[in-house]
Amino acid sequence: MTAQRRFWLRYGSAAVAAAVVFALRFLLHFQFEDRTFTVIYVPVVVLAAFAGGRGPAIFATLLCLGSSFYFLGSSLYTSPANLIDVSFFAVMGPVLGEIGNRLLQETEDARYRQAQLQSILDTVPEAMIVIDDRGIMRSFSVTAERLFGWQAAEAIGKNVAILMPTPYRQEHDGYLDRYRRTGERRIIGIGRIVVGERKDGSTFPMELAVGEAKVGKEQFFTGFVRDLTERRSQERRMQELQSELVHVSRLTAMGEMASSLAHELNQPLSAITSYLRGAATLLKAGEIDKDRIREAMDRSATQALRAGDIIKRLREFVAKGETEHTIENPAILLEEAAALALVGAREQGVRVSLRSDHELPDIVVDKIQIQQVALNLIRNAIEAMETTSRRELTIGVSRQNAFAFFAVADTGTGIAPEIAQHLFQPFVTSKASGMGVGLSICRTIIEAHGGRIAARANDGGGTVFEFTLPFAEPETGHDR
Amino acid sequence: MTDKTIIHVIDDDGAMRDSLAFLLDVNGFQARVYESANAFLGGIGNEAINCVISDIRMPGMNGIELVRKLKGQGAACAVILITGHGDVALAVEAMKAGAVDFIEKPFDDEALLGAIRAALGTRATSPEESTARKEAEARLAELSPRERDVLQGLVAGKINKVIAHDLSISPRTVEVYRANLMAKTGARSMSELMRIALAAGL
Repeated sequence: MTAQRRFWLRYGSAAVAAAVVFALRFLLHFQFEDRTFTVIYVPVVVLAAFAGGRGPAIFATLLCLGSSFYFLGSSLYTSPANLIDVSFFAVMGPVLGEIGNRLLQETEDARYRQAQLQSILDTVPEAMIVIDDRGIMRSFSVTAERLFGWQAAEAIGKNVAILMPTPYRQEHDGYLDRYRRTGERRIIGIGRIVVGERKDGSTFPMELAVGEAKVGKEQFFTGFVRDLTERRSQERRMQELQSELVHVSRLTAMGEMASSLAHELNQPLSAITSYLRGAATLLKAGEIDKDRIREAMDRSATQALRAGDIIKRLREFVAKGETEHTIENPAILLEEAAALALVGAREQGVRVSLRSDHELPDIVVDKIQIQQVALNLIRNAIEAMETTSRRELTIGVSRQNAFAFFAVADTGTGIAPEIAQHLFQPFVTSKASGMGVGLSICRTIIEAHGGRIAARANDGGGTVFEFTLPFAEPETGHDR
Repeated sequence: MTDKTIIHVIDDDGAMRDSLAFLLDVNGFQARVYESANAFLGGIGNEAINCVISDIRMPGMNGIELVRKLKGQGAACAVILITGHGDVALAVEAMKAGAVDFIEKPFDDEALLGAIRAALGTRATSPEESTARKEAEARLAELSPRERDVLQGLVAGKINKVIAHDLSISPRTVEVYRANLMAKTGARSMSELMRIALAAGL
């Protein structure tokens, strides 16, 4: 709307309203005779003030005063009652105009803010979903429509649980209930990586951030959802490349290390050879010097132990590496890894159940490495069930004395006995295209963390991979 | 006891020194041990030196530098170098510097004792050097011109790839020539081959 048009609309409507009232006053003129009756003009000024603001209100006031003058002539100011009436009206007009102006301004501002907010919500890459304290969706953004495949009209009024796969779908009301009772925040203000389910039943990893708001007595939760499928697949690729790189660079470093350790190994070996050959020469002599021979043998034994120490150092180097340890909750760690590893699992008809104890103490680990282990085991499990009809994957972590006990159980083909013995050795594989290094790296990682990893046959067919990680020491574990 | 030949042993590793001293002692030599080349040079004074066994990699002056320094001073002593990092380039460098032998760790006693005896013999019978040269030349006489080229490359301390490039042949062919060289000269190791080549004045 152009400014000019707007101007005519504001003032024109004021003029039209004044004209209508003028006509009305004209028709009723015989009733009033020489009394002002300005009350009849009040609606005109009010209308002008709220529709057009200050200017039109004053304009309408002037028109109405003119109209009064037309009907009453000089008695408008000669009669004291009329003068008082008209004066009040003359003051009231601009005051109404001012009030109308402010209201208009605020309405304008509110509309502007609303439009701004809406444009933000429509453009942020995150999907936004607002639920009430019973889990019923109240708002469903355009991005959310795209992400989940539900139309806002369909989604609003339904329970937010429809956006989650089992077992979360059944448990979500329980989560809300627990939060209401205990006030304990598991996700609000923290943000986590979880699994979402689209309308078509497919699942995807997503990053969820939840905030809460109280409006009157009602409580709302606002969830921002970011689709991680693409980002994750890129990151996973990066991570794969990186871990490959780390592995290769470690192999290179190992090669260099091995070369220098081999040199060092030559020292005790040379010494042993010299001692033993010398002792042998002494034995050939007619008179055997037992003391000297024994001393030479003792010293060569010492050198043999030294050689052993050098080899031990090499092994320690292989097992260790530059790692970054952080305090982690075992259940969350596992669930995040599972969220990534389970991408596409549903499409393959795998039934997944997560059974984790959320009350476990923390563990101090290199998160990326442990998640790589979990990811590796879960991926292996899914792969193992490709050809079986029953496809059930059970993932969980529980307590076993001072250890977090992780288990990944599948109902797949199981492991051939000849492979089982060498399962965690490098370059052993049952896969058509496998290097056979995954599990050996898993074992290296787990053992470097002070845990153990093992595989056993699943009771109902398939395999269970289990690994343990020690809980953090009590003095470091309870700082959260 | 005084008629025992004195062998000077230089190695930065204590166990190596001790075990070599023991081995030399039971075989009728008298060993004097030093933990560095500088300790050796400072400790010998003006006495005549027959034979030195030295490690190559040591803190401070290394074994090859020691050989050069001794030769530069015109010392007549024989130096046997031992190393845990055996490679052709190092062997060539050692032989060129004037070491009489180059032995890789770990070694058998006979390898070392044989080298010591040979070194003492060479030194004692200096006039026979020409016969050693003749013998070496005789062993190299059977070599084809191409094999001789490869041997020269090796003596120059070049790696296979460089030799192959210089001679416009493939590295694989250089390997074949190298195997032929070993077979024709009867050398048991690269260091022995180097010794023969250097003795023949290649």
